[in-house]
Amino acid sequence: MANTLRLYLTCIRNTLDAAMCLQNFPCQEVERHNKPEVELKTSPELLLNPVLICRNEAEKCLIEASINSLRISLKVKQADELENILTKKFLRFLSMRAEAFQVLRRKPVQGYDISFLITNYHCEDMQKHKLIDFIVQFMEDIDKEISELKMSMNTRGRLVATEFLKQFM
Amino acid sequence: MIATSTFCIITFYSKNISCLENQNVDAVIVLHCVFLRMACFDRASPSLKKILLKIYRAEKPLEIDHHLHEFGSVEYHIQSSVSDPHLAYLSISMPLLSQGDLQSYGISRYTTEMIKGISSDVVEIVEPAKAGYQLTLRLHFAKIPRNKDPVKIITDISAVQATILSSQLKEMLQKVNYDDTHQGMHKPIKLVYHPREPFYVIRQPQKIITVFPMRFKEYSDVIIATAFFQELMDVGISEKWAKAPPCCWSPIPPPELRGESFEDLSTNGGFVTFDIAPRHIKGKRLDKTVWNLLNFYAYVKYHVKCTKGFIQRRMRKRLDSLVEVLQKPNLEEDEYTKKVQVNAGCRRSRKWVKLPKSKFLKRKYGEFIKKIKRIRFRLKIQGFLRFRQRWLKIPKFSSSMKYKKLN
Repeated sequence: MANTLRLYLTCIRNTLDAAMCLQNFPCQEVERHNKPEVELKTSPELLLNPVLICRNEAEKCLIEASINSLRISLKVKQADELENILTKKFLRFLSMRAEAFQVLRRKPVQGYDISFLITNYHCEDMQKHKLIDFIVQFMEDIDKEISELKMSMNTRGRLVATEFLKQFM
Repeated sequence: MIATSTFCIITFYSKNISCLENQNVDAVIVLHCVFLRMACFDRASPSLKKILLKIYRAEKPLEIDHHLHEFGSVEYHIQSSVSDPHLAYLSISMPLLSQGDLQSYGISRYTTEMIKGISSDVVEIVEPAKAGYQLTLRLHFAKIPRNKDPVKIITDISAVQATILSSQLKEMLQKVNYDDTHQGMHKPIKLVYHPREPFYVIRQPQKIITVFPMRFKEYSDVIIATAFFQELMDVGISEKWAKAPPCCWSPIPPPELRGESFEDLSTNGGFVTFDIAPRHIKGKRLDKTVWNLLNFYAYVKYHVKCTKGFIQRRMRKRLDSLVEVLQKPNLEEDEYTKKVQVNAGCRRSRKWVKLPKSKFLKRKYGEFIKKIKRIRFRLKIQGFLRFRQRWLKIPKFSSSMKYKKLN
């Protein structure tokens, strides 16, 4: 792993560790309702300052915390058009299967490629450190998968091109 | 081009590829290339071949009147009557490659010769062709030579559409006509192989240039195809493939197409140019070159389709591994709970196991034995008999499975 990536991921891990102190908190607006405050943003006293961690202009992570929920939005690097369509395809594919992840948001926050919403219930069901591990590993895997996909696509293209030219010989 | 003729191959391909995916990525790529070659270079129409073989192999004479449509614009009409079982009629209607070389009945002399070349005994061209069709063939199945494979001849007949198309392009490539020069430049010939996919052939003194304007429906297709064109250019430049026609991709139209209509020159996938040298159209190579050029669109589109399928399969596989990370804690917890439950169960069973059989029975029937002892006691107490009859009576055990005799 590149040093810059390791630092970036460590920073995210530490921030998440600090921000993921969630507790059950009923909605102040509607009685007998319990809603993620980070989504509603109706009571400013329940929200924490959002943290933006940037590796570069194209790669960043926004962590928004509140008393009972945490929202993590990621922007994945897209060096060229091929990476752009691969990232879009892959993240759309995952978003459409959000129920499998439980913490994945169906629609990303504007300006980002993918978003997660973690509530206090998720923290109770799953362990906190496991959730943090998942987010960090997800980021690593997405990067790795996209570069692997790009490489295999180019390899396929080269082989198919060779086969085509072979026909003329 | 690959629509119907390769349906079976694609189905077989998709079945095999999913099995191989888990084993080896390289094997998948090689398989993809093999199927790509098979799919695009299968000239015979499978449905037409099937019908012709059915007529040929029929023990009893068959009455057949079939209309087949392929690729949206090609139509076949096959007729066979009971009265003449060894004779069949095949009519074909298809858009011609170029409107410039039209003969009075639609097919040039060169093409006619090529069709006759399939098997002069078996295939006979009917003139004039049936109304609405460009060509009608009379097929004498009884005249198939014994020393030749009938299936091969029928396969060649099924590839009549490919023969017509190839012969048209061959004719164009072979003809050197200097009359069509315009201001020192040769005028491009527009070839409409498919209504939405025209391509251009430009004759030049030393070479023939073929230009393919590439159009795709989706943006992602454009990107995948562009990556392929880059690879095609890179491979073509290498020394190993120096004998293959040089390929060039450009997002803007080449200067040879200056003067063509704006509609034809507006593309989203750019322009692919192949420079065909005289050595590429000499002898047997002509056939290969022509067929490759005719199938270039299909080749690219099939590659794009397969690549999209590959991405989808890979994403699906990746989803499982990503979800696994999140579900691990739950699984671990479940395992821990199960372990605790299993241990608790064991403790109880161990208790049961440790008890000796006599003790177990003693504990179970102890009360009952005490009762019996009391009954058989020698000392007699007054009124005890009545008490015994009333309270210490041994209950009669009646079976739940009582049977009553039916009268």
